[in-house]
Amino acid sequence: MEAIVENIPLLLRGIGYTVALTLLGYVLALIVGTALAVCRVSPIPPLRWAATVYVEIFRNIPLLSLLILIAFGLPDVGLRLPYFWCGVLGLTLSSAAFVCENVRSGINTVPVGHAEAARSIGLGFFGTLRFVVLPQAFRSMIQPLVNVFIGTVIGSALCSAIAVSEITWVTQTLNIQYAQAVLMFLVAGAVYLGMSLGGAALGGALERAVSPDGHAGGRDRKTLDVAAGAQA
Amino acid sequence: MTPTTSRPGRRAVVAAAAALPFGAALAACSSDTGAGPDLGGGASDGGGEGSPYGDAIASGPIAADDVVSASTWASAIKDNGKLVRGGTLANQVFSLASTTGGEPTGFDAGITQLLAQYILGEGGVEKVEYIDTTVETRETMVENGTVDCVIATYSITPERLEVINFAGPYYLSGTAIQVRTEDKDTISGPEDLTGLKLVTQANSTGIQAIEDYVTDPADVQTLPDNESCVAALKQGRSDAYVLDQGVLLGNSKADPDVTVVGEPFVDDPYGIGLSQENEDALEFVNTFLQEIIDSGTWKALWTATIGDVIDGEAPEPPTPGDLPV
Repeated sequence: MEAIVENIPLLLRGIGYTVALTLLGYVLALIVGTALAVCRVSPIPPLRWAATVYVEIFRNIPLLSLLILIAFGLPDVGLRLPYFWCGVLGLTLSSAAFVCENVRSGINTVPVGHAEAARSIGLGFFGTLRFVVLPQAFRSMIQPLVNVFIGTVIGSALCSAIAVSEITWVTQTLNIQYAQAVLMFLVAGAVYLGMSLGGAALGGALERAVSPDGHAGGRDRKTLDVAAGAQA
Repeated sequence: MTPTTSRPGRRAVVAAAAALPFGAALAACSSDTGAGPDLGGGASDGGGEGSPYGDAIASGPIAADDVVSASTWASAIKDNGKLVRGGTLANQVFSLASTTGGEPTGFDAGITQLLAQYILGEGGVEKVEYIDTTVETRETMVENGTVDCVIATYSITPERLEVINFAGPYYLSGTAIQVRTEDKDTISGPEDLTGLKLVTQANSTGIQAIEDYVTDPADVQTLPDNESCVAALKQGRSDAYVLDQGVLLGNSKADPDVTVVGEPFVDDPYGIGLSQENEDALEFVNTFLQEIIDSGTWKALWTATIGDVIDGEAPEPPTPGDLPV
């Protein structure tokens, strides 16, 4: 326990870095990913292709490889970012690809008739997205976006490999000193668990706020009802 | 809204093609074993008989039957027919897997094979099961009996001694400083590192050495492996790389852009990690270490491995059982 008690400030700083990496990476990924999704459903073929190529590259490259490329590959072509921003950039690039696909599949859940109706009352491409498609698509995107958030939380641990002193890095460092691996990693695990559960709870609350019948997972309840009905 | 047609086959091909240059680039800058020192027995001849390394191993002692049976730890290994060693096979100088199907080579690998031969007799060299341990798992794997021993540039520290036993020390390493070659005249010791950005390996005692000997460094970065640390140093992310001298000398040998400066400024004794539950293991392994030191095998092994990256004669071996802490 002394390993923890004696190093509260260091652990807190590690948690701070983990939170900062996650939030920055995720928020930027939401912005970039949404823009990419708009490109992927746009009527302009080159934009669609560019977004598709982006998604297929960054969805399929392991985050650790990506981080090491950014941290130690980019300086060779003259771009040397601080480690922390290398971490943010890696998380953003990777998570944005997943965000893009979630937003796109959310858009695809909106019946095409709605979009056609929006066009017929004179809304343009962006108007259709903003007033008709995205508000409806948002509801079905929440849970998948929570999954991306959890992926970003967990991915932030890999930034320890590029010298960002987030909680995993702190854990490893303290373990060298105190030889208390199991205890230290339980602490780090608890931090990630707390952040992931927090994200999931927030997502659930959002879902309840925007769902038409006022509770999350209305569909799940329906399936339960069907199951109960089958038994009756 | 454009309807999207899903053709997974074509997509997979596109993705693979897109990822290819990245993969190739990554392979090009990942750990390249060719950059390490040639241990005179590594990829060239598998470390077999006839190489300095192979001869050193072959000259090792074999314990008498009653010596083995007097130790429950050694008897169990003999009954099992193999020695299970925890460690790494990715260290250029101490323990490197063979690319040609031979036994691993290096100073730690040699100690491991000598110990296996000592307990299991003729042919014991090949009866080693190498299990990968990391700095996170070493103590745990010794404590729960996953491995018989850990031989992995394992520094003896008071904290570690609380949870496991250490036989040895079997090698006295030292923490040294590596800088970019253009800086070699301005930095000569830890006192010159104040205000500089330092880098060391995450799983090393370099972290503690910096804490104890460097006043107010600008920044201490830790990276998971030697290649990343060298890249950070060469790319100017850090000004000095603090680590075990043996590894640093290997880097200088492979890359003229980096140079080791000054003499080691911290003693770093390596021990063999053993479980505290096997009371007699400690004495048995220390006896073995004393035997390879007395017979000259230790010096022959040093010359064939570490001697390849450090100039000069083999140092005086440490005294097993004489723990520094």
